[in-house]
Formats: sequence, C-alpha cells, structure tokens
Amino acid sequence: MKQVTLLAKVDQDKCIGCKICTKVCPVLSISVVNRKAVVNEDDCRACGNCEQRCPSHAIEMVPREKPLKVYVDVTKFDQGKISEICEKAHFNPEQVLCYCTGVRADEVAAAILDGAKTPEAVSLMTGIRTGCTIECVQPVLRMLEAAGCELKPNEGGWQWYGTTATAWTVPKEVKEKYSTRGFYFEEDRELLDDIAKLNVEEKGGKNRDA
Amino acid sequence: MHKPITPISAKPSQYGINPALVKKRASELPKMCSLNLQDLFPDLPEVIFPAGPNAIDDVRKAAIESLKKVDMSMIKSEDSVNVLASHHGFTLFGGEPYAELLKAIKDVVEEKTGCKEVRLRAGVGMRFRETEEYIKSYGLDTYYHGKAIGLAPVDEGIPIETEIGTLYGLKKIYDADWIIHAHHTDVREVHFHRQVDKAVKPFGMSYARIETRSTYHQNLGPRAANFTARALFESDFVQSKFAFASFLDVGPHGIVGVDSDNDLYALNDRATFIGCQRYGKVMTLFGEIDECIAVLDFPCPVPYVFSAGVIYANFTGANVDLYDLKTPLPSYTWYTEAFYGKNDKPLLGDIPPINPAIKMCVHNYAWTGYPSAFFSKHIPTIVVGQEQANLFDRDSMNLEYMDYAVSIKSLEAAMEFAYQTTGIDKVIIFDGAMGGMNVSETMAELLLEKAPLVSEKVDQELLPKWLKQRGVDVSILDKLKK
Ligand code: SF4
Ligand code: SF4
Repeated sequence: MKQVTLLAKVDQDKCIGCKICTKVCPVLSISVVNRKAVVNEDDCRACGNCEQRCPSHAIEMVPREKPLKVYVDVTKFDQGKISEICEKAHFNPEQVLCYCTGVRADEVAAAILDGAKTPEAVSLMTGIRTGCTIECVQPVLRMLEAAGCELKPNEGGWQWYGTTATAWTVPKEVKEKYSTRGFYFEEDRELLDDIAKLNVEEKGGKNRDA
Repeated sequence: MHKPITPISAKPSQYGINPALVKKRASELPKMCSLNLQDLFPDLPEVIFPAGPNAIDDVRKAAIESLKKVDMSMIKSEDSVNVLASHHGFTLFGGEPYAELLKAIKDVVEEKTGCKEVRLRAGVGMRFRETEEYIKSYGLDTYYHGKAIGLAPVDEGIPIETEIGTLYGLKKIYDADWIIHAHHTDVREVHFHRQVDKAVKPFGMSYARIETRSTYHQNLGPRAANFTARALFESDFVQSKFAFASFLDVGPHGIVGVDSDNDLYALNDRATFIGCQRYGKVMTLFGEIDECIAVLDFPCPVPYVFSAGVIYANFTGANVDLYDLKTPLPSYTWYTEAFYGKNDKPLLGDIPPINPAIKMCVHNYAWTGYPSAFFSKHIPTIVVGQEQANLFDRDSMNLEYMDYAVSIKSLEAAMEFAYQTTGIDKVIIFDGAMGGMNVSETMAELLLEKAPLVSEKVDQELLPKWLKQRGVDVSILDKLKK
C-alpha cells in the first residue's frame, strides 16, 4: 500500500528531451513526446527517480490535488494461492518486501492474482518499488517468476535487467571455497527457509531452537 | 569530562532542512559535556586529523606517501582511469579528509604514470544526488577538470559474470581501462556488513546497480549477503580493471593515516581488524548503556548520524553483539525489519528487540533519504520543528515516519518532554563530535566507569573470537601493534 501524495511535474522549458527519465521510471509513467517529457499523472507513483536523475533539473515533485491510495486488498484473493506463490518464491506471506512502503509478500501475490504480469504492473497496483526503487526489485522479480510470469526487461530502459543469485542457487563449490570467511551461507538459507515456512497462524514467540 | 565538542555543522542539502532552521544544537544544552575517546580507550592510536590547523595537509602528505609505495605500472600514459568514491567518505570528520585523499590520488596517478584521463566516479546510497552535492562543495569538479560525476544505482548498468551468476554493475564505474578503489576503514553499517569484507563492499553497493543491491538485501540472507561484493570483485571483469585501493585509515576518533595496496584482500584484513578492535570497543561500551535519551543531530539520514564513530542504527542494535556472527539477525537490519509481521512483532521469537535502553529519541536534525519509519515505530520519537516533519512527509522513503513520531517546536521543549516522560537524564548525542562524543554528565559518568572493563573484555575475549569467525589471521594483530 502506498499513499501517493506527490506528482512529477516537468518544466518544458528546461527539458532537453534526453529520455533519461523514461529509463528510470519504475512504472513507465513518463514518456518523451515531441522531444519533451510528459508525465501520465494517473500512473505516477511519486518515487522521485525522474526528478533525481534529470540532468537538466527539469522535474519537480509537487503535491497532488487529490492524493491516491494504491493497494491490493489481500482478503479478496484465495489465501491458498497467495501462500503458494510466496512459498515458491521462498517468502513468508507476511514478510515485508519493500522497506519504504511496507508492502508485504501477500500483497504482491494478490496483485499478481489480480492480473499483474510485470514488475511495473505490480508497482502500479501496490506502490512497491516506488520508494527508494532499489532494494525490492529482486523480491518482485522472484514473486513474478514463482507465479509463472515471463520476465522481459523493457527495451532500452534501465528499470531492471534480470534476476540474480539467491540463497537457494549459490553453488556448493562456492560455499565450500569461501567457508572460512564468515558468510554462513547454509545457516542463512536455513533461516530464510524457517521464515518462509512459518505458518502465519502460529507465528510470534516461536524460537527456532525450540 | 570536558566541555562539549563543537558538532559537525548543519549542511545545505536537498535531503535536509535549511541549516538556518537548526536553531540549537543538543551539545549547547545545559548539563552536557564531552568525553575524549582516547581517555576512554588509551590504546587508540594517535590521529593526524583532527589535529590543529595543518591537519588536512598531513592527510595529504600521508596519502602521497602511501600512494608512492603502490605499483601503478599497469597504467599507461594513454590509458583512462576511474577513481571510484562513495558518499559515506564525505560524512567522515567533516568530509574534507576524504576529499583530500581523492585529490591526492589524482595527483599521484598523473605524476607517476603520465596519465591525463583520470576521472572521479562517486557512487551513492539511496540519495541519488548526494555525491553531486559533495563534488561541488569540496571543489572536486574543478580539481578533476570537470570529469567528476555522481552515479546512482538506477543509472545504466552492465552485466558482470560472477561465481554465483550474473550481477550488475554501473556502466560508468567501469568505463575506463583502470579503476582505483578510494575508500576508508570507517565501519558505519555493521548491522549489514557485520565487518565481513567491508573493504570490498562498495563493489556490491555504491558501484552496483539495483539488482545487485537487492541481491544483498533480500536474496542471500543477513550474513551470506556479504558475498555479493566479493563475487563481483573476484570476477574476471573487475579483476581486469582493478589497479589498487587507497583507504583513509580511520578510527572512531579521527584519521590515523592512509593505507594503499594493490592487494585489496590484504587491506581488507587490516580493515577488519580496525573495525573489530577500534570500533568494537565503542560499540561494546554502548551496549553497556542501560537507559538513555538519544539525540540525532547530524547532516545524514536518521540511521547514519554518528556518535564516537557509531551510527544510530548500530546503537539501536547495541543490545546484541553485532560482531558475533553466530547471531544471524541484529536488532535492526533490513532482514530483521522484513521479518516483523502485521502485528508489528517479530515472526520468530528469537529475533532480538530494538535496543530497549533507548527510552526516547529526539530528532533535532537528521536527513531524509533512507527508510526510517521502523525506528519511529519502535522507539518513541520527537522531531524538532514542523518544517522537518513536513520534509519527511514528502520523502518517498519516509511517508510513514511521522505517522509514529510527534513534532515539537524547539529542541529545548523536546528535551524537556523527553526528560519528563522518561524520568531519566542520561543523554547521548549523535552529532559527529570529532575526537570524542557529546553526552550528558550522567552518561559520561557511566561510560567512564564501564570503559576499562569493556576494553579488557574486547581485547581478551571478544576480538580473538570475532577475527576467527572472519578467517582473519590473528597474527595481523601483532603486526599492527608494532
Ligand atoms: S530527464 Fe529531464 S531533460 Fe531528460 S527528457 Fe526527462 S525531463 Fe527532459
Ligand atoms: S513514478 Fe517516479 S519516475 Fe515515474 S514519473 Fe512519477 S516520480 Fe517520475
């Protein structure tokens, strides 16, 4: 869930039509038309990436006349299917995936069940990836992949390039080779598994060692 | 106990309030004093900065001396070189020493190799224009003849093949024949890196794309995350460009010298020792604080404000031993935050709580640009000034910060409220005071009493354990003592 209170506004006089803003917008809500950037106001999720990367300082974040609340109501979707996607992606449904907006794995799963097939669509619906726009990209890709969506980066865009290693894909040889340097590969994978497998109903106060 | 140390000044930045709005610093309040870190821990080495009016010249001299010993023969006069920097260096001791190191590297490389194409590429954390601001304010754009840029993790990337598969770096970090890694031994985010491969970390962070940084913070687990940087550094691609590293040798009390090496892992082992020994003592001492009011008063985002080289985020986890790798999750780290359920309680019972000694936080001056609602949610927080509260409300990473904090007009009123509500008078100020720390007199008494025991415990018991867990050759300890 994200409360969208701001909006990107382009100063057309300053815009040089370089298209950088279009490459960094996590929801593809800005485009260049006749060599000037234009914001799709309905879709802007106010992450500020365009404002922060524009080389001409042509973009300003301004208050929205009417703030938007974007979220997917998880209670409207089959809980079994939500759990299935989360489990396949190795997340607990209650786990926070986005540290800026607080979006949890179950909301991302619900967005996917509601028809989102790309990271951009998930972000439009939930607000995830529109805070810092950095840290939650892999969880979103993992969730979509777990749900069987085909991942294709946006041509020419810098939004995201692809999935990367996870605790479950690090090769055994690598773990062995670096075993003395304090990485605790196996123990951390077990921790992530414990979290992912924890039944939400039973959670809280449960010790792993118990 | 001494009179308070002048804190680091408020800085003009798009991420913080106008410095004119910072009407009072916490160190100016009644009953505040300072402690000298060398009084607390007499074995801390002598520093060259801060140390009088010529201190910055001494940093330059130390940098040149150290750089002269490095092999630069791989750099030919017709080659291009990227000097790689990170935002954090500019937050250390006012930022000038790091800027001076970056200037010295350029000069020595040009002099030794005849190379004229030396550029500065400065990565950031989450505030995408932060190093742009530093480049201007420290005159690095002119020093590098206009060839100095700030880079953000959303900028164009390049795939890099590693032992764990493809990771992504920033294209402009690697668009030269050679790269020079310009960093420092300050520890900052011990909750994330746990002092494992800290010297290598920027390869997986400030020099990396979002995919890589997300791998670190979401895919591998709290300790295994640290392999991300090593995987990149070990790659054929990065190895083919790496020339050498040059680090400010930093302690919690100042700049000790400059350490440059063609072997990053050798430098990493020395940095691990410094991080565990010098900073480990201050962190362990902070773990002895039983109750306090924490005041944030430094030009950095909430978790990064400093006291005695320790950042607030680490103080919020000082109730557990952050260096003990047997503990998977510190009280605060993003993996920990992720594992809090909808009832705002940890999903697993053995996740430690946020440091219960912090009874209240007074946020006099700290920046936006880092998701900080977890702190205001779990620690009663008072923000000074409506302008600062409004700034947080406008930050895409902090839309909820003020949902859990209150704002009060002045620092004096905020402190009065904190004293009254908590009933305690022990105060620790995170204001970057150089060489020591600003605290209330009652806090000073506690820290002076505990420091000798802490020092002994770290030397005798904790340090050998910490170094062993990291595979660091303990004989390094003896070499460094010489
Ligand atoms: S980044 Fe700035 S200058 Fe470039 S197209 Fe967008 S608004 Fe225009
Ligand atoms: S979503 Fe972000 S990048 Fe896209 S237009 Fe809005 S503020 Fe700019």
